[in-house]
Amino acid sequence: MSTRLSLAPPAPVRSPETEEVTGTDDLVAPDVPWVTIVWNDPVNLMSYVTWVFETYFGYPRPKAEKLMMDVHTKGRAVVSHGPRESMERDAESLQGYGLWATFERDE
Amino acid sequence: MARAFLMEDGRYVAVLDETERFMLHGLMEQTRVVLSPEVESTGDAFADLVAAMGVSLGQDDQEPRASADPPDAEAHPGQERDPALDRLLPDAHRGDDAVAVEFRRLTEEGLRQRKSANLDVAMDRIASASGDRVELDAVQAPAFLTALTDVRLLLAERMGMRTEEDADRLHAAMEVMGDDDPLGYAMAWYDFLTWLQETLTQALMGEA
Repeated sequence: MSTRLSLAPPAPVRSPETEEVTGTDDLVAPDVPWVTIVWNDPVNLMSYVTWVFETYFGYPRPKAEKLMMDVHTKGRAVVSHGPRESMERDAESLQGYGLWATFERDE
Repeated sequence: MARAFLMEDGRYVAVLDETERFMLHGLMEQTRVVLSPEVESTGDAFADLVAAMGVSLGQDDQEPRASADPPDAEAHPGQERDPALDRLLPDAHRGDDAVAVEFRRLTEEGLRQRKSANLDVAMDRIASASGDRVELDAVQAPAFLTALTDVRLLLAERMGMRTEEDADRLHAAMEVMGDDDPLGYAMAWYDFLTWLQETLTQALMGEA
């Protein structure tokens, strides 16, 4: 068996139903999506940030690397879109990994 | 002399000497204290219980103890919040303090507990090293990796490394520092942690 198999990232933590717009907090404009943003910092490694995007979101390597490079070169990147409660969950989880994550309404 | 984390028979294995393990364990312990001082055991079960309830029966505790405070220091403007906590648990919303405070209230204790649990796993693996070998299984490796991140965040904050410019400045200063300069010493260990984390990340991503 290839060692690669045992290295496969865990399944995405988010379940599909979290993508549904079920939030009711966003009373002003319920259909305006929110976003989760990761900000650049001098501590987190490029490889580690890529690993987090793969592991948590289940993003394929090229997408994870592209987002990581956006964080690195532009100072921030939108890493997920969705209803507010999903974005809060993503920001919390990414903070758990030590990334500098915030959520906000997508303007 | 340390050897990087490598995949060996389904486990992630690094070779770290006693000094390296001692330092790593100590830094993880300090990070854990910063993250959840309110649950640190005193060795006395009753005292621990009382501390967990947010009250102290000590005679010198006419003032509320900082360590017994709820996590959201914003609710207690008189209390100083350790700036390192803002690095480990940053504001999750920019531009709306009320949203940030509410999010912190709802998430901070859980985040502190999860980060502390990662550190506990990592410290246990370091303490269980045999023949200088620190071994991690597939569940322990991500916990160890994330614990290394939190230790580096804390160390960076203590050294004043908050921006890329700070990092460049500190590394440049390191070149001309004497061996006995505490900042140079801290930087050397920071760089060691960076290297160790890089090797474990590569191993987890299947590149080592």
